Amino acid sequence: MIQLDAEKGVNFCDGLRRRDFLHAGALAFFGLTIGDFLQWKALGAVDKNKDVNCIMLFLVGGPSHLDTFDMKPDAPAEIRGPYKAIATNVAGIQISEIFPRSARHADKFSLIRSVYHNGAGVHDVGHQMMQTGRFFQAGTEHPHIGCVLSKLKGPKGDAPPHVLLPRPIGNTGGNLPHGQTAGFLGKTYDPFVLNSDPSEPDFKVPDLLPPDYLPPIRVDGRASLRTLVDKSVSYLESTPDARLLDSNFEQAYRLISSQSAREAFDITKEDDQTRARYGRNRFGQSCLLARRMIERGVRFVTVNMFETVFNEITWDIHGSAPFSPISCYRDLVGPMFDNAYSSLLEDLAARGLLDNTLVLAMGEFGRTPKINPAGGRDHWPNCWTILMAGGGIKGGQVIGSSDEIGGYPKDRPTSPAQVAATVFRALGIDLETELPGAQNRPVPIVDYGTQPIKELF
Amino acid sequence: MKKRALVLIPVLLLGAFQLLSHATYSAPQTIELLPSEIMLRGAGATQQLLLESRAGGVFNGDLTARAAFSSSNPVVAKVNERGLVTAVSDGRSIISAKIGDQLTSTVITVEQSFAPYPISFRNHVLPVMTKAGCNSGACHGAASGKNGFRLTLRGYDPEVDYLTLSRQASARRINKIEPAMSLMLLKPTLAVSHAGGMRFAPGSDDYKTISKWIASGMPAPSDTDPAITRLEVFPKQVRLFAGQPQQILVRASFSDGHVEDVTRWTKFFSSDENVAVVDDKGIVKLQGAGEAAVSVWYLSRVSAARVFSPFANTISAEAYQSAPRSNYIDDLIIQKLQELAIEPSRLASDSEFIRRAYLDAAGILPTAEEVQRFLADNAAEKRTRLIDSLLERPEYVDYWSYRLSDMFLVNSQKLPSNAMWSYYNWVRSGVAENKPLSKMARELITASGNTLSNGAANYYVLHKDPIDITENMSIAFMGFSITCARCHNHPLEKWTQKDYYQMANLFSRVALKNGAGRGDVIVYSSDAGDINHPRLNEPLAPRPLEGPALKIDSAVDRREHFALWLTSSENPFFGRAMVNRIWKNFMGRGLVEAVDDIRDTNPPTHAELLEKLTRDFIDHNFELKHLIRTIMNSSTYQLTSVPNNTNKGDLKYYSHYIARRLPAEVILDALSQAAGVPEKFKGHPPGRRALQLPDTQVESYFLDIFGRPPRIVAVDSERQQEPTVTQALHVINGDTINRKLRSREGFVQKLMDSNPDNRAAIEQVYLRSLSRRATTGEVQALSEALDRNYKQLLEMLGARKTPGSGSASGYMAEADTKEKSEAVSEEEESIAASVKKPAVASKHAAPRTDEKPESLARRQVLEDLMWAVLTGKEFLFNH
Repeated sequence: MIQLDAEKGVNFCDGLRRRDFLHAGALAFFGLTIGDFLQWKALGAVDKNKDVNCIMLFLVGGPSHLDTFDMKPDAPAEIRGPYKAIATNVAGIQISEIFPRSARHADKFSLIRSVYHNGAGVHDVGHQMMQTGRFFQAGTEHPHIGCVLSKLKGPKGDAPPHVLLPRPIGNTGGNLPHGQTAGFLGKTYDPFVLNSDPSEPDFKVPDLLPPDYLPPIRVDGRASLRTLVDKSVSYLESTPDARLLDSNFEQAYRLISSQSAREAFDITKEDDQTRARYGRNRFGQSCLLARRMIERGVRFVTVNMFETVFNEITWDIHGSAPFSPISCYRDLVGPMFDNAYSSLLEDLAARGLLDNTLVLAMGEFGRTPKINPAGGRDHWPNCWTILMAGGGIKGGQVIGSSDEIGGYPKDRPTSPAQVAATVFRALGIDLETELPGAQNRPVPIVDYGTQPIKELF
Repeated sequence: MKKRALVLIPVLLLGAFQLLSHATYSAPQTIELLPSEIMLRGAGATQQLLLESRAGGVFNGDLTARAAFSSSNPVVAKVNERGLVTAVSDGRSIISAKIGDQLTSTVITVEQSFAPYPISFRNHVLPVMTKAGCNSGACHGAASGKNGFRLTLRGYDPEVDYLTLSRQASARRINKIEPAMSLMLLKPTLAVSHAGGMRFAPGSDDYKTISKWIASGMPAPSDTDPAITRLEVFPKQVRLFAGQPQQILVRASFSDGHVEDVTRWTKFFSSDENVAVVDDKGIVKLQGAGEAAVSVWYLSRVSAARVFSPFANTISAEAYQSAPRSNYIDDLIIQKLQELAIEPSRLASDSEFIRRAYLDAAGILPTAEEVQRFLADNAAEKRTRLIDSLLERPEYVDYWSYRLSDMFLVNSQKLPSNAMWSYYNWVRSGVAENKPLSKMARELITASGNTLSNGAANYYVLHKDPIDITENMSIAFMGFSITCARCHNHPLEKWTQKDYYQMANLFSRVALKNGAGRGDVIVYSSDAGDINHPRLNEPLAPRPLEGPALKIDSAVDRREHFALWLTSSENPFFGRAMVNRIWKNFMGRGLVEAVDDIRDTNPPTHAELLEKLTRDFIDHNFELKHLIRTIMNSSTYQLTSVPNNTNKGDLKYYSHYIARRLPAEVILDALSQAAGVPEKFKGHPPGRRALQLPDTQVESYFLDIFGRPPRIVAVDSERQQEPTVTQALHVINGDTINRKLRSREGFVQKLMDSNPDNRAAIEQVYLRSLSRRATTGEVQALSEALDRNYKQLLEMLGARKTPGSGSASGYMAEADTKEKSEAVSEEEESIAASVKKPAVASKHAAPRTDEKPESLARRQVLEDLMWAVLTGKEFLFNH
């Protein structure tokens, strides 16, 4: 096996200096052999001059484009809804009054106002299409964009390449996969899931550090005993779950032993003022944590704004229980997004990280142009707006437009596949890269010929 | 160029390339024309023929393109060089196909040739539009239509579509006088602009179908239209070869007795595009070895052709003949393995078997004594006897009560605690009595009365409205979802919106009222109330899927009617769904996967086996124990999980036992059992195991991260069995295992007390945790490692005793406080549970601060050994 970083010492809090837990297979546990890695590089699938990260803010529930980023102030009341449009720091671009802080950063982001998808108007379909660029068919589960990046680029330093905060999307009514895993790439490339709420006062990544009674010498000793015990079942390596378990243990040891990886998760290192600026809530603190992670070598962070749309105030404003009312955009959900999003853009820009960090903010669909009898809006995949900032894309633009009631794209209809292609392009990944599917059938990262949004570059 | 290279490397590396070149084409032994009997009605009616080669009873190649066709009587029917037969006049003709020196023929009957071939809106025009995608969800089939033109999704309502096409938009969509000027033809051919692009070409078959229908006066759909009665595919089953495309033909029979080649109007789907892909003409191409179903969809009817291609292994027929067989399961499993050229693994050893059987049937580990007794037993029937004894154990009741509670959603989040217990106890007593699953289903469906005395009635507290009940019943009891049909006919299934609301109306009279106190609800059947079909805006006759309808004013209890239908011995749905779930529990994969996605377009890997098991289960009065016995006694279940060279990659055809991570609750109980320290659950008495919990709401971080189901919706995917990094972090650093290992009451302490040497310690740990004897090699390697670790620990402990560093005592002092506080809290709990255990206090005592470094190091080394075994794959997996 290859010894990648065996010489690297790790400082422990107790002052002991010791070998890294991990000698061999440091890359392999991310599913990548060094051979693979060099091949990808040599073949040019990965642009080494472009090391762009990505933060994907997934606005679970489906924000109403008409009440957020595609205002129709001149439309009849039942279309334009309760909110007013306000000016931004870019002449000619207006957004909703519920985002006063974001309005000061319109020069940093671009709005794509003509996104649509052709699948059914249910949450799960939008989740999988927006996070993978595809609709799953014939048993093929496609990988999340961040998992493709993990596969192609591997980890940068000790941090996992792709982290999901705070928890995966749970039940949103259907039974289709949400597109938040590595799919056919294998679970080795699944994101590291935080599974903990960073806004909780006692937040910590569960079990990241060994308890006091387990000094490094014992943790090491145990690991070597475990390797001996496992020899008897080496044949299990032919099952994917066994391989996954191995890589999980290796990844766990790497997290435990790496100072920088641990620091990426340590939100208490941020001062109170900063934490307040992002909003003292699950989404705000997750965005702050996302920034810390990018600073410490995580390549891709997915932040799910909500886990479900039931019995929780979210973007899913049907107007009646168990869903949310339209007023929650002003009272809760809007400010939550506004504070976190604007703080993230501010911090990334101030630290010079915005140029190499793409910040994507999007939901799974828009909402019906006409307010429904319950005073809310229902699912509408025919047209909605998403935001992109940083990562070398040009801000201050409006790409595409919707018709006068926001019902359909008027020009430049943009599919989830084109959104994915745009992200890949920003991340420096050749759009014709093929991934190994089942039985090693090549699967292109986006269908051949899918064009990114060129105006953004 | 660079991208190509990128793909080829893994292909070459993994030998897939080799695989394809190995599948050489062998000369056909016989040839056969399909369909074997043909009737054509109406002038110009056509049927495409297929010439198939056949070897060993299996079709294995489409030779149509290479054959020469001729008709014995061209006045009756003519045939062209591609094998397309066209009706000319009434009579019979023999159509022959010749290839090389082989000749075969089929008989054709033509009738009513003087009658024009009628084009029907329902049976021809709509299918053309469906196939062209006009009424798909992405286009005009969307709920809001597209561009002011709205069709029903995939043509589920012909009357509405007819009106839309013939009347709306000032009737511009159809021009009766000049069909070619109809928007219905101008748009899809792009003669005028169409945002949906070109759907078919002018003059194509699709175009002609529509223009002929318009020219014939655009007859409206009517109730007297011939209704489809049957959909057939040819060939039903075929072996594919690389580079040799296979046409699939589809034929429909109608209620007026006529039969028609509907291939061109059929939509095709492959169940596994890694094995085969299919285009919209029905031409299938091989992609890789394995098996796939090519589903065909026409007029809401579904059928499928099975296509397969063997793996590149050379295995003698004898290997299959001599493979162990115990019952019919094995015959059918081995038959498929032989078709796919996969060799089954050998039988599992007794150690493998006893551990597996205990875990799968009862969720527990065998004790060291049980293992030793079983290994020493020489009786031929000992495995069968072990299975029988397992089914009589109390832990069997725990385990299956838990699994069925997953299915019935026993959950204190939605039910008050007393009601949840009542519900759980109903499930539990059913399992304990070996109550037939059909009887349990019947009790639940017809449950009435107080929920606290009739636990099953809580089902209707969890599912209150007819929609929710209908959808849960179909998933839980029939293993499929009919949710799509709530809003429109199911796009890939036969279920219509009408079927849905007829079924929903069976549950529209379930009524609830408050009982005496908290948690008590009275469930009863009201004698009035219906649910309306949303479009027809009226209630439909209550009717279970494909079952007999009740009159809407019938006095029969509707739930009773449903229960009788569901659990009748003629009903295929219930038994099949249960068999599939139970099978998965033991075999690691459903015969249909996912187990709650049973549908014609997702066929089983072993259809005949599923059918046979279902029949057997029904014939044995739906008894869980009978089914379990049948499965566990099969040689297929008793194969080792160690793969051979031919079946390493197989996770689908049962060529070896599928090793898998144990379920969350089983791991936790096994850890507790092996470490000798029970888990303590809040609100439950000490000693209650995870599998004895009635509910998944009981607080447990361990169970949560290892993926116990939340029991919110009855889908199998709620339970997560994949390993994750979070789990790894928890077993390394978390307190679940570590606390058990450090406990003064557990097995490690017992080991300390008995003071064994390394060899004895290792042997004991292996036997109680892994249910087998440690090998000599293992004893030696581990023993050396223990000595090494011991020395290092001792050195560290000794070094820290030097003045100034002070950490050795600090170390122990810290552990000391921790242990004490734990001991206190546990004692408090036991007082709360009014179980006084004064003797325990001394055992709970923390390591004495004066404990010698030697003894401390020894203890830690034993803890570490135990940890390594309990976190290894051999322990965490069933295999």
